[in-house]
Amino acid sequence: MNTSLVSALAALGSLTALHGADIRGTVTVERKLTPRNVTPAAGLYQRGTPVNLRADSDQNPLDYERSHVVVYLEGLQRSAPVLPVTMEQQNRRFSPDLVTIPAGSAVSFPNFDPIFHNVFSLSKPKSFDLGNYPKGQTRMVTFDKPGVVFVYCHLHPNMTGTVVVTPNEWAARVDPSGQFVLAGVPSGKYSVVAWHKSAGTFRKTIEVTAGQNSEMNFFVPLPELSDGEATTHTGH
Amino acid sequence: MRFATRAFLWSFLPFTGLLAGSFWAVRTAALSAVKDALRSAVRDNQVTLAKERERSQLKNIRVLRVVVENPALKAGLQLLATERRTPDAARRTVEDQLSEICDTMGFDFLAVSSPSGNPLAGVIRQKAGFLPVKFDSLRLPERGFFSMQDQIFRVISVAIAQGQENTGTLAVGERFDLAEVAMPAVLLRGEVVIAASAPSVDNSKVEAALRKCGPQAECEVQMAGETYLSLPLDSSQAHNEEFTLRSLRSLDAAAAPVQAALRAVFLSAGLTAFLGAFAIAAFSSKSIVKPLASVVARLRESGKTGVLPEFPSGQRGVREVRELTDSFNHAAASIQEGRDQLVRAYVEFVSSLASALDARDPYTAGHSLRVSEYSCAIARAMAIPADELEIIRVGALLHDIGKIGISDAILQKPGKLTAEEEALIQQHPVIGRKILECVQGFDAYLQVVELHHENWGGGGYPRGLNGDETPRSARIVKVADAYDAMTSDRPYRRGMQHEEAVRILEKCAGTQLDPAAVQAFVRLGNIARPQASGEDPILHSLHHLSAAVRSAAVQETRV
Repeated sequence: MNTSLVSALAALGSLTALHGADIRGTVTVERKLTPRNVTPAAGLYQRGTPVNLRADSDQNPLDYERSHVVVYLEGLQRSAPVLPVTMEQQNRRFSPDLVTIPAGSAVSFPNFDPIFHNVFSLSKPKSFDLGNYPKGQTRMVTFDKPGVVFVYCHLHPNMTGTVVVTPNEWAARVDPSGQFVLAGVPSGKYSVVAWHKSAGTFRKTIEVTAGQNSEMNFFVPLPELSDGEATTHTGH
Repeated sequence: MRFATRAFLWSFLPFTGLLAGSFWAVRTAALSAVKDALRSAVRDNQVTLAKERERSQLKNIRVLRVVVENPALKAGLQLLATERRTPDAARRTVEDQLSEICDTMGFDFLAVSSPSGNPLAGVIRQKAGFLPVKFDSLRLPERGFFSMQDQIFRVISVAIAQGQENTGTLAVGERFDLAEVAMPAVLLRGEVVIAASAPSVDNSKVEAALRKCGPQAECEVQMAGETYLSLPLDSSQAHNEEFTLRSLRSLDAAAAPVQAALRAVFLSAGLTAFLGAFAIAAFSSKSIVKPLASVVARLRESGKTGVLPEFPSGQRGVREVRELTDSFNHAAASIQEGRDQLVRAYVEFVSSLASALDARDPYTAGHSLRVSEYSCAIARAMAIPADELEIIRVGALLHDIGKIGISDAILQKPGKLTAEEEALIQQHPVIGRKILECVQGFDAYLQVVELHHENWGGGGYPRGLNGDETPRSARIVKVADAYDAMTSDRPYRRGMQHEEAVRILEKCAGTQLDPAAVQAFVRLGNIARPQASGEDPILHSLHHLSAAVRSAAVQETRV
């Protein structure tokens, strides 16, 4: 799905190549960014009960972190075409757990589990509550304002998903190797933003000249101790 | 020092010393054992309590794990993390959630922190309800104590997880009351006591004493003369505030009842043992000394009387004492024999002297010997004890010894004596006494010699005693003397016949003579009359001796 999205965006970029240039880049992540929940309460250890830690996922943890970075363009307000985006509920997870959409687009939340789910969000750009619905049904939510919207399920506290609503269609989820392409960006002066849930946002300004592809690399470090809050980093 | 005292002291003092020493050692050992037992009991107690608390915390944590599985809380927490610039609405949402949980679960305090430990929102139970907490720069410990609004809270925390992601921490607190700790304890912030349920000791003293203890170490401290055992029960460190909860229990106070009981037991046992030791020592010293003491007592008595005692010999008694008494008996027998020989020699000497005296005058020859025999006869008739009889025998033999000092002219003067001569004659008992006084061992005979001229009815000489005042021995000798004087021939008359003499004796009984003695003599009949004195070979030789002496004296006077 990610790769298809990237290739779709790349295709879109090639379509608009005449009007602008591509921004390519690499996102470097050196350490795990997401606070991992592996530690049960101290009492369990003190008591001597064997604690089964979850096995590490097959996925390289840094691949996971890189693939959860979203790069998008700021400084260009443009009504974008509505893209068909779906965040499924399957095996008590949101799948994918991270989607990017341009503002004005809608996300469909189909339920593929044999149990009820209740998708809701308290986030400021869009708060909603879709109510309980069973398997086979879906609900649509339109996100008008750009911003990050965290979605949850009222019935399953462990389910969490993220919808990144970007100001325009030039947005990309970084692939596990850290590569991203923003294709066919019109000439102009913009901010390129890299966002990670734990690490925050990183901004760099860029001036795009038609026909001149440019490269922009991001280093996404651990969040400063000020918190997991969306820290804003700026730089060139 | 007396032997008994010495024996007593040597048995009593070491005994008492050993007893006192062993009692002291046992008491010390018992007390230290009691203290050790108490210490370990206190320690076990605290360990048990700590385990119990651990278990209850684990339960709390399990409950809290359920509590944090709250989508609204998680969503709110994420919102709070995201909307840092305009957090009020998000915080209100979270605070609302927390209040609800607090109310349902009955907690006093509830707060959520970011994964890095910054408190984001919290509520605290007040009388009016739940109020939001302003944290400012406060950080919460993962577990343990923290102070807020002048109150001490005890918190435990659980992580809030979403899938594999840690999204924060929920801290649950309850107001801490030292009374809930099941033993005397102190709560310290840093080194300062902020609450104490323990002893009646000044906080400053507790602080000074506990400063020496390691923060997580068991230690014993001395305060106000008592030993306290202090164990760390709980501690926490957050935001430069270090809290330590320590137990503080007085071992001495705990040991006091046992100590009192021990003291009572040892006091009574010690007193009993002391008295027992005293009694045993007294008994044993007495028993040790007893055989010797009887010997010593008899010897002391003999020192007063001058009579050497004879100890019964036999196989009984202590061997050493027996040997001592045997050798003493031996020595005493030798001495006695020597003394007897000496006395006998004296007696013989003196009686020879008396016989020599008698022999000065053929008419009185054998007088002393006869008087002695008559006296013995009378004494036997009167059933007089043997030792007194012996005194009478020897005394009678010597009774006229004083006549040595009277000149022959007076003694042998035929016819009546002048009053002057009579007075001289009457001196002879006193002279006799003076002669014999100088001889050791003759004390017993002095009375006979001195008093054989006292009258039963008084008026005798030299003292003029009456009746019983004159000793019986002297009275008997007087009767015998009178009889022999009457029945002996004199130059101026023939000796009386026995019957006549007896008549005169009976006549004089009660006036001059002791009636009992006279009666006894009369009962004897004529058997008392011995053979002619001249038949005695000793007397015969003495007569010769006396005659020779007299003629020599006459010749000397002539010269």
